[in-house]
Amino acid sequence: MVDFDVIVVGAGRAGTAAAYKLAEHGIDVALVERAKEAGMKNVTGGVLYGDVLSELVPEFPDQAPLGRHVVEHNVRILNEGTSIGISYRDPAILDEPNYTIQVGRFDQWFVKKAEEKGAVFIPETTVRDVSQRGEEVLVETDRTGGDLTCKAVVGADGVNTTVGRVAGIRETVRNENVGQSVKHVIDLDKSTINERFNLEPGEGAAYAFEGFPEGVPGLGYFLYTFESSIAVGAVASMSSLEKYGKQGYSGRGTPLYDLLDRFKELKAVKPLVEGGSTTEYQGILVPKYKYSNLPQRYDDRISLVGDAAGLTLNKGFTFRGLDFGIKSGMCAAEAAIGSDQNQDWDSFGQRYDKLLNNSYVMTEMKQHRGIPSVVENEKFFDEYPAVAREVLEHTFSTSGDASGLTWRQALRSLRKRDIKLRGVLADGWKAVRSF
Amino acid sequence: MSVEKDLETVEWDVGEEGHITVDNSECVDCEEKPCLHLCPAQCFDYQEEREGGIYFSYEHCIECGSCMVFCANDPDRGAVSWTKPDGGKGVEYDLG
Repeated sequence: MVDFDVIVVGAGRAGTAAAYKLAEHGIDVALVERAKEAGMKNVTGGVLYGDVLSELVPEFPDQAPLGRHVVEHNVRILNEGTSIGISYRDPAILDEPNYTIQVGRFDQWFVKKAEEKGAVFIPETTVRDVSQRGEEVLVETDRTGGDLTCKAVVGADGVNTTVGRVAGIRETVRNENVGQSVKHVIDLDKSTINERFNLEPGEGAAYAFEGFPEGVPGLGYFLYTFESSIAVGAVASMSSLEKYGKQGYSGRGTPLYDLLDRFKELKAVKPLVEGGSTTEYQGILVPKYKYSNLPQRYDDRISLVGDAAGLTLNKGFTFRGLDFGIKSGMCAAEAAIGSDQNQDWDSFGQRYDKLLNNSYVMTEMKQHRGIPSVVENEKFFDEYPAVAREVLEHTFSTSGDASGLTWRQALRSLRKRDIKLRGVLADGWKAVRSF
Repeated sequence: MSVEKDLETVEWDVGEEGHITVDNSECVDCEEKPCLHLCPAQCFDYQEEREGGIYFSYEHCIECGSCMVFCANDPDRGAVSWTKPDGGKGVEYDLG
């Protein structure tokens, strides 16, 4: 007799979504979490694209601790003193349930909802080993006598997944497949945020910044507004940081937190972030897999969901991951419900993978499979912005140097950098197709 | 704002034993020493006069896993042995 039908490891959004849905369908499920309380180990950037959560918990916008309703998206290419940007506001996005969230608070609420449905929450418990023994899976924990048995396991334990590694499903994460991120949460009063970001009460804005400093491909920054705080962070691929480190100062490289501090001092950024005090500093790794090299994500009775399965997509201006996590958790739950109905738990992993492959998560990962190579193309964050800068300077300047036609200036700027027009068109076409 | 000051905003319930250990005899041959700039919590310290040079304090680890990726998983390195802290121990974020 097993202790539970399903054990979910990790109470982030992906794991909790799985536990919630399983409990709702009357499946015996335990949600094992290593923190003292839900959310204490969890970090995110933060926009929750909430459509998929609405499917699972329709009442979430009225109940969950949310930040602000995202009504504006901004993308800016920066240099020391220059800022080129797009700002997008549209009544069409007002109907979408997209909110900034701080997962420390959000995840506590979400786990309580899963408990109300009947999931058993087991905190302060670190999973050390997972192994299949015939008709059951043994989950070994660091608690005395805390080993648990079940019919199937959902590994929702993040990019550094213990479940994936000890079960031998996933290879270890390599430099090129992971990004490091650091973040400051800065207290600012509500009215300052509303004035500074041109928002009405409750309205929120999301920012993505690229291009600073030149020469670090794939380095980006983000800013999100909350009720009375903002989050400002930096993210870069580990391999990029390692390479940049070799040419950094004192031969020891430039840490990402120093790059974040430098970013916050930029002329185009300082007015947005100044005046508050940092209330929390966080660091996390984020998956940066491509569709073509996504890791293995299941075994007979084990499935990996969310970050543990490498399910994130960086579109340059939006970072998708929270909703992919929730959807993959729902797929794992559906697979377990199917296995329960058919009393066929050995095909749980396969069932899950089929459901995931048919979901919008994999459709989007596949459709946008070209983005990683566009985002990693140094020209997009280095040479092209420099060309754009020169062209715009030419366009808006009234000094004598800026006479002549703009398209001539564009060609001059390209020629100066030895960039062929044909290459620009090819890169542009690739970018358009990927996005 | 320096990262030392940033780290003062973070809370921990420090476990009795380290969840990450460093075999610093491996560090002698590591020229780049990426741990010194890739750990976002400055847990790695270089002391030239001591053997191996690299010293690690797990007390202020924020459990991101960076050192697993750039050292433990790198076939050319491998000084770091990495696990997650015992249940209930380690970093305790409030906001996330």
